[in-house]
Amino acid sequence: MKESKVVIIGGGATGVGILRDLSMRGISALLLEQGDLAHGTSSRFHGLLHSGARYAVKDPGSAAECIDENLILKQIAPHCISDTGGWFVQTRDDSPEYVEQWTKACANAHIPISEISPSEACRKEPLMSKDVLRVFEVPDATVDGFKIVWANAKSAKRYGGQFKTYHQAKRLIMENNRVVGVSTKNLLTGEEFMVSCDIVVNASGAWASHVTGSIGIPLDVICDKGTLLAFNQRLFQRVINRLRPSGDGDIFVPHETITILGTTSEFVDSPEENDPQEEEVNKLLEIGRHVLPGIMKNRVIRAFSGIRPLHREDHDVPGVNKEEGRNVSRSFALIDHELQDGIQGLISIVGGKFTTYRLMAEKVSDRVAEKLGSMTPCRTATEDLLPVIPEHLHKKAAQLLPYAPVEKMLERLQEDAESVLTEIQRDPRKGQMLCECEMVSAAEVEKAASDEDTHHLADIRRKTRLGMGTCQGAFCTYRALPLLWDKKEKYDALQDELRNFLNQRWKGIRPVLWGQQLRETELTRAIYASILQVREN
Amino acid sequence: MWDGIIIGGGLAGLIAGIRASERGKHVLIISEGAGSLTYSSGALNFGDVVQLRSRENHPYALIEENVIQAGMDYFQKLFPDYQGVCGRTQTLFTPLGSPRTANIIPSGQNAAVLQDAKRIVLMAPEGMKDFFSKIIKTNLKICYPQCIVDIYPFRISAFEAWHAIGKPVTGMEYARYWQSGPGIAELKRVLAGVTITCSETVVLFPGLATAFSEPLKEVLSETPFPVIEMTSFPPSAGGHNLYNALKQKFKSLGGELLMGTGVQRIELQEKECRKAIVSSKGRPTAFAAHSFILATGGILGGGIEVTAEAAQETLLGLPLYVPAEWTKSEFLGEQPYAHTGIEADSDLRPVDPGTKEVLFENLRVAGRMLAHWDPWTDNCGGGVSLTSGWYAGEKL
Repeated sequence: MKESKVVIIGGGATGVGILRDLSMRGISALLLEQGDLAHGTSSRFHGLLHSGARYAVKDPGSAAECIDENLILKQIAPHCISDTGGWFVQTRDDSPEYVEQWTKACANAHIPISEISPSEACRKEPLMSKDVLRVFEVPDATVDGFKIVWANAKSAKRYGGQFKTYHQAKRLIMENNRVVGVSTKNLLTGEEFMVSCDIVVNASGAWASHVTGSIGIPLDVICDKGTLLAFNQRLFQRVINRLRPSGDGDIFVPHETITILGTTSEFVDSPEENDPQEEEVNKLLEIGRHVLPGIMKNRVIRAFSGIRPLHREDHDVPGVNKEEGRNVSRSFALIDHELQDGIQGLISIVGGKFTTYRLMAEKVSDRVAEKLGSMTPCRTATEDLLPVIPEHLHKKAAQLLPYAPVEKMLERLQEDAESVLTEIQRDPRKGQMLCECEMVSAAEVEKAASDEDTHHLADIRRKTRLGMGTCQGAFCTYRALPLLWDKKEKYDALQDELRNFLNQRWKGIRPVLWGQQLRETELTRAIYASILQVREN
Repeated sequence: MWDGIIIGGGLAGLIAGIRASERGKHVLIISEGAGSLTYSSGALNFGDVVQLRSRENHPYALIEENVIQAGMDYFQKLFPDYQGVCGRTQTLFTPLGSPRTANIIPSGQNAAVLQDAKRIVLMAPEGMKDFFSKIIKTNLKICYPQCIVDIYPFRISAFEAWHAIGKPVTGMEYARYWQSGPGIAELKRVLAGVTITCSETVVLFPGLATAFSEPLKEVLSETPFPVIEMTSFPPSAGGHNLYNALKQKFKSLGGELLMGTGVQRIELQEKECRKAIVSSKGRPTAFAAHSFILATGGILGGGIEVTAEAAQETLLGLPLYVPAEWTKSEFLGEQPYAHTGIEADSDLRPVDPGTKEVLFENLRVAGRMLAHWDPWTDNCGGGVSLTSGWYAGEKL
């Protein structure tokens, strides 16, 4: 039996945002996550920090929220965001009437836009179609989902917040129409225990209806699957949107050295249905071709899918087809089950977008604080997410590591950077790049492997980006083995870790198996099946 | 006018070239790069030949069983440093120290002697990349429970400067060093430092490849204990040594090797290939021959290019067998896409997958370009390339 004022279920951006917000207000909170932090939708999206322009016409409320949050996050989390700017481009296929409607809507939502000439645009983005008619600049940016989730979790921890990964909330415990705790299972050990609390916050996204379902309360969350492609090059310098009513596959988002194209939209029955399909890939390539005519010449590293948890009750937008995911509002709903179902001590937060995660967390935390009689106001809009990394660490890292990985490593590790750098200083061999695609040092992987909340190779991947580059794990998976071995009590048998990791990578490669990525795959199979003789069970 | 032009200088192409040259043919090999052989461990697997021959379309089923045996015998006669018997496997070590089997292996990799060992000394060269002594030790203890396993760390002065800045030394670099004059002396010194605490001691050595090196073999023949070489994570000295030995053999038989240039196209006349057009220094050059062999390495080697829409043989646009289902969910299990390739007749000439009509009378297909096999689940990567290459060279 454990105790906490508040239990948060779900370790995505919203959940960790709430954990941080409550912890900053001095309210004790424990977050339960059934997998690893950010393993769900928060890492399975295009990584676009919306300016709101995409929603300006159809959903002005969401658009206004987006632009506010966009500016706030650029202030408080610059290390997780790359302020690339974005364009909306009208191609010959896109209606000029919509362009007029859109420019007015942006003005109404206070989203600053400015038009640039197609010739200038083509000069700045040489790979873009020469057939664009009009181009508008907007304050879109890109955001690293893993990084911002971990930054929130680490910040929350500094304020006393706690989180437990691989802990599943099995069911809510009720006493006289009041939720008093959560029956929890440690999925690694099988141990079950109860956490008692005053308030449960259900921030489990696509899994939200499972949580309330445990006490018989229906929650209408639609699972809207979105599939995306990752190209192995930075094809554009900024976010490129199609200037038309939102459709499949019309946003390109550059991240570091890759580009993501998304997103499709299709209702599925469960959040586990996230295997990208070949038809979705083909659809993306077909639509992406209008903005990037040479799309087929570019190497696709993998496809991936996330599940948008949409809240059905919000979608009463007149005149739209209710069964199409894109037409369900992207704004969020805070459901106080005391008001809605007469159940005290339970709040659900559903819907919304990654860009507005902080605002959602603020609204939920305000409600929780009010219920607990706390008067402390929210500070997440103004306080930096990342502690200042002292100058001497920048210098030390620059001395010990190649230029490219220095800043990324400091931003990922934050306060842990010091110990990792000291280790490299002690043993320079650990400064070697264990993951040569993403430039991750052996010392950093070693640190991630020994963290108490790391339990699988995939957890190391989410923390460090190991295995996310062009080789998709061919070389680095092998190189991580001795680090897992050193902490073997925490991990599955090496063969199993290896097989599982390769199979997870395979899931995203299968639907894009052609060209250079296919050759890479043949090499990977040669290495593991032949040279290392790892076989399927 | 050449007797034969072989396109592709990997295992299949080089074996074909060696056999044909030996038969007195005037042969040119044109190769875009080093084949994927350089990634391999150097050991060759033939798989279960009888079972694979029972599969209607498998490359082994195209040729007679005695041809497979003949190819294997031929290879060993060519390279006495390799050993093996058809139908029997030899034991060797993976880079992780788990035992595996293969049919033909460099003699130095043979781990048979470990059956009677009481103590294994695992040599641990300082700073060696992709070498994990602790994992290897554990795997050895599981497989050889009767043995004590000792790790023997050592460092040599040649790489001190590398160690100081944390630069790793790959197995390839160690292996190359051991082959040098100072390296041979240093290897003697290192091995002399291994103390024998029991008479049945066996030494396991990573980053060492003695095949084709007389001085190195001599060093190992003088040690009071057997030394077993380990295979390594790619790129590996074992694969490189075999590749170099094949090239040398081919050249010593009078063969010519044109490296670094791909063939642009083949000039055809009805059902015959006439000339290989090579683009060299920006100018096309034509090489005419009576007969051709296509050994361009399949998907990994670049002889088959796959786009989102279709799979294509890159040189002649030969029709390919392409499976309807492309992949399966278990990555390391059977993968249908691996069966993509050219269908051939019993003479290894390409045929139309529909009509089975021979497409070119004087062209043969070898190695990974052939359809209907998966080297990794069929365990016959080396075997198919070696035998089809040998047979194509025999028929040229």
